[in-house]
Amino acid sequence: MTVVAESNERAEVVQKPEQLPPSARANKVVAAKLLQRPYTGLFVLLLAMVISAIYGGFQSGFPTSWVPNVTTWFNSVANWITIHQNTAPFFVHFLTPIGNWLGNSVNAVTDLLNWLSWPGVIALFAGTAVLAGKWRVAIFVVIAMFYFGLIGLWSASMSTLALMSVAVLISVVLGVPLGIAAAASRVVEEAIRPILDLMQMLPAYAYLVPIVLLFGIGNSGGIIATVIYAIAPVIRLTMLGIHSVPYETVEAGKSFGSNKWQLLRKVQLPMALKPIVLGINQVIMMALSVVVIASLVGTGGLGDPILQALNIVDVGDALTAGVAIVFMAMILDRIVSAVAENVGRNVSTKGQRQLISPRNLRIAVGALVIIAIALGNVVGGGGSFPAGLSLSLSAPVNSFLSFLQSHLYHFSSIPVIGGTSNLSSFTTLEILNPLTRIIGDFPWWLAVFGTGVIGYLIAGWRRAVLVSIGVTAIGLLGMWTDASVTLSQVLVALVLCVVIGIPLGIAAYWWPPLEKVLRPILDVLQTMPAFVYLIPVVLFFSVGNMAGVTASFVYALAPAVRLTNLGLRQIKVDMIEAGNSFGATRFQMLRKVELPAARPTIVLAINQTIMLVLAEVIVAGLVGAGGLGYDVVVGLGRDEFGLGLSAGLAIVVLGIVFDRLTQGRPAGRRS
Amino acid sequence: MEKSQIQISCKNLWKVFGPKGANLVGSPDTSLPPAELQEKTGCVVAIRDVSFEVARGEVFVVMGLSGSGKSTLIRSLTRLVDVDAGEIELCQRDVRKADKNQLRDIRRHNVSMVFQQFALFPHRRVVDNVAFGLEIQGVKKADRYRKVDELLQIVGLSGFGNSYPSELSGGMQQRVGLARALAVDPEVLLFDEAFSALDPLIRREMQDQVIHLQEQLHKTVVFVSHDLDEALKLGDRIAIMRNGAFVQVGTPEEVVGSPKDAYVAAFTRDVSRSKVLTARWAMQAPRYPSLSSYEDRVVPPTTLLQGVLPVVLASELPVGVVDSDGRLIGELDRRSVLAAINDGPPDSALNEDEMLTTPANWREEVAK
Repeated sequence: MTVVAESNERAEVVQKPEQLPPSARANKVVAAKLLQRPYTGLFVLLLAMVISAIYGGFQSGFPTSWVPNVTTWFNSVANWITIHQNTAPFFVHFLTPIGNWLGNSVNAVTDLLNWLSWPGVIALFAGTAVLAGKWRVAIFVVIAMFYFGLIGLWSASMSTLALMSVAVLISVVLGVPLGIAAAASRVVEEAIRPILDLMQMLPAYAYLVPIVLLFGIGNSGGIIATVIYAIAPVIRLTMLGIHSVPYETVEAGKSFGSNKWQLLRKVQLPMALKPIVLGINQVIMMALSVVVIASLVGTGGLGDPILQALNIVDVGDALTAGVAIVFMAMILDRIVSAVAENVGRNVSTKGQRQLISPRNLRIAVGALVIIAIALGNVVGGGGSFPAGLSLSLSAPVNSFLSFLQSHLYHFSSIPVIGGTSNLSSFTTLEILNPLTRIIGDFPWWLAVFGTGVIGYLIAGWRRAVLVSIGVTAIGLLGMWTDASVTLSQVLVALVLCVVIGIPLGIAAYWWPPLEKVLRPILDVLQTMPAFVYLIPVVLFFSVGNMAGVTASFVYALAPAVRLTNLGLRQIKVDMIEAGNSFGATRFQMLRKVELPAARPTIVLAINQTIMLVLAEVIVAGLVGAGGLGYDVVVGLGRDEFGLGLSAGLAIVVLGIVFDRLTQGRPAGRRS
Repeated sequence: MEKSQIQISCKNLWKVFGPKGANLVGSPDTSLPPAELQEKTGCVVAIRDVSFEVARGEVFVVMGLSGSGKSTLIRSLTRLVDVDAGEIELCQRDVRKADKNQLRDIRRHNVSMVFQQFALFPHRRVVDNVAFGLEIQGVKKADRYRKVDELLQIVGLSGFGNSYPSELSGGMQQRVGLARALAVDPEVLLFDEAFSALDPLIRREMQDQVIHLQEQLHKTVVFVSHDLDEALKLGDRIAIMRNGAFVQVGTPEEVVGSPKDAYVAAFTRDVSRSKVLTARWAMQAPRYPSLSSYEDRVVPPTTLLQGVLPVVLASELPVGVVDSDGRLIGELDRRSVLAAINDGPPDSALNEDEMLTTPANWREEVAK
């Protein structure tokens, strides 16, 4: 056992040969380990903090005199772009054609949908579900699509659908080959990984302003925003799918002498197909949520009525459109996953007894679709849903909502809290506003070097420098105060998510029936686009900070619960057995075995929760949550590109700082 | 065996996995072949009417192929798996009737287990892995670490206390697992295929360590294994398990020397019998009345036949077997030694297919 001898020596060096009681020795070694790394670094950081504090005269907040006139500078850039849009070759020969092409593609798809006519579209979607063997999905599709028509949002739904199809198609066409390239080459992977990280981390809001600047208001901008958001997961899941092919299978392929290309085409891609198609389902969900937000840059579709309704706080209208979005999400989700299940299903259907043979079913469905198209074009009004067939839900919904409001919102019946309006004003006045003030007045030197210290303790020097620069940048962008508004809401929502979500995840792990109850609820929460959460929130908490907090709490709750639960369920059985075999109580198991073992996943849960909360707080800028999100909305709307760009950049920086502060050291390749 | 000497006693244990498996216990269906039973009821019998006793200080090895039910059996002793019927007594405590607190107490103080895949806690340093059982009992930190230091020394890992399990090799990890089990000073140690995941060399090292420890500590050990050499090396007695039932229980010599049926015979076919059987096994009545007739050609009864072989091969003369009191108890000659060594079953005694794991057994493994 030479190894033992070696390490004895090693341990001796740290311990010094003096004889200590074992526990003290153990403690000392730990202390030594702890001190080795952070000692010098901490010292430098603290020194820097003290010097800058004295130099800055212990000033609170971020010194306004230091803020360069970024906004004006950005504005002049924006002006330059506006002026040269029609002359500079970069625009004329590159961006403008791309924009036009995208716009034309959306128009082409919209034309196609119109040609199919509304009965044709319904028949096509329902027929696809039937062919995938999901009759119940087909029935749901018919009902949901009639809903689009009846509430007068048929053409809005179709333009959302058109935008989505183009955006997802582009993401897939560009993303899958990139994913294959990244899977095949380590170099490509290393090169695009940080870019993917950034793209997935950023709330779509952050890049809306530059997109509008470069592509103008309209569908093309919306598509670009959606593709930026959706392409990263396509690349990731293609890579993941190819990497998930068992190594033995790849080796078997190699052993027959196949070259790289043959290996890819005949072994890896076919086996990766199913995970890729399943993943595209998620991409569609994500794309939908951005397509809706993209109404802000002038794309039409289902986001538009919500935006308008929210502007005039007409919750009834917003809600009917919101339900349409949720229906759209569910239709796409169910149909794509039904189709994906059939992809690469390696079971021959021979010998199964079926009512109708698959061939006849295909013929029947095909015939039905053709008849529906014909009917639609001849008598049904083609692309537009017959105006006579309409259902005004707004009025009944509004009266129901005012009933709800009068019982929940205005003081009255709820014990202790009063009504949700009391809760809202209490939280805003007593928690959010003071917190915002505290963060806003937080001395810059403490903020900059304090986050630096945290970053240093988490992952060393580079992390410390990165987050310190990030915090400084927010100040230099002139966004210190606005960021503090956003930050206070993020913190409160995060605390709520952690305090409620993690215990809920644990409870569902302990008590499986709860998991069964939670699963469909979480499913729905996760399919709803970020936008939709704002609607009920406005109803109960009116516009303001509290709306931001509540929407982001609800939005980010699902992953907090899910990931905690997943982390606990993924613990190896034998580890649980080992704990039990030593007679641990339920609580000891949780504290000493399960929670520590699930820690990486729970940390990930917190990381994801923060990012989602941040994204939603930004979106909530639309409903008076203020902060950076509101700046972006203003920047889009009132020709204040400078403000919008600054806020967008600040969002990027804030996102990076949050992300880096909640992730451990880079561990090379993540498994 | 005397009552007070018995540390583990199991009577008529049954465990049936599958829908309403408990109802099948003792029913005629259970005598169906596994595949048919699976077809008919969707159930798999994991433990079939198993009874055995283990004495204090004895090493009892349960041997069987994967899916034979041995892992389920060892887990049922501490109710990590609950059996459907039967009695389990462990250190004079009724395990099956124990309530939650009593069971916890048994697990904390009487038994501990070493796992196949080590089952170390990756988030704990080696010291805290070893101290886990003591921590659960509520032992103070200083006392825990004192005990841990002692144990790490015993298993040859002192100096590794502050490492994390992932920083150690497989063999070292299982030493931690062993130390963790020993730390609570249990009366009974359970080994679930503890060394199967290790390289042959390391495995042998660990087996030697267990033998060495056992000489000093005299624990009662139940050792589950699929490795016959391991079973023969460690076991005072060996139980051969198949389809949930014990086929044969006996000393290594009995199992190798007189296999009860074709299955056991096929199992032990490749064992080098001269390394297991002893002089006592092969000896016959002495032909000469007095010890002096054998001159210096005498051996104690515990001598392995491989030790006697060169002597009987070199000479036609018989070898006397003499017990510790110096009495002549038998003799060996070339014929009796070679007969004992050769007396294996013919190769065709068992259909090879029966040795393989059946699909039903495989399902049981998966179900676990």
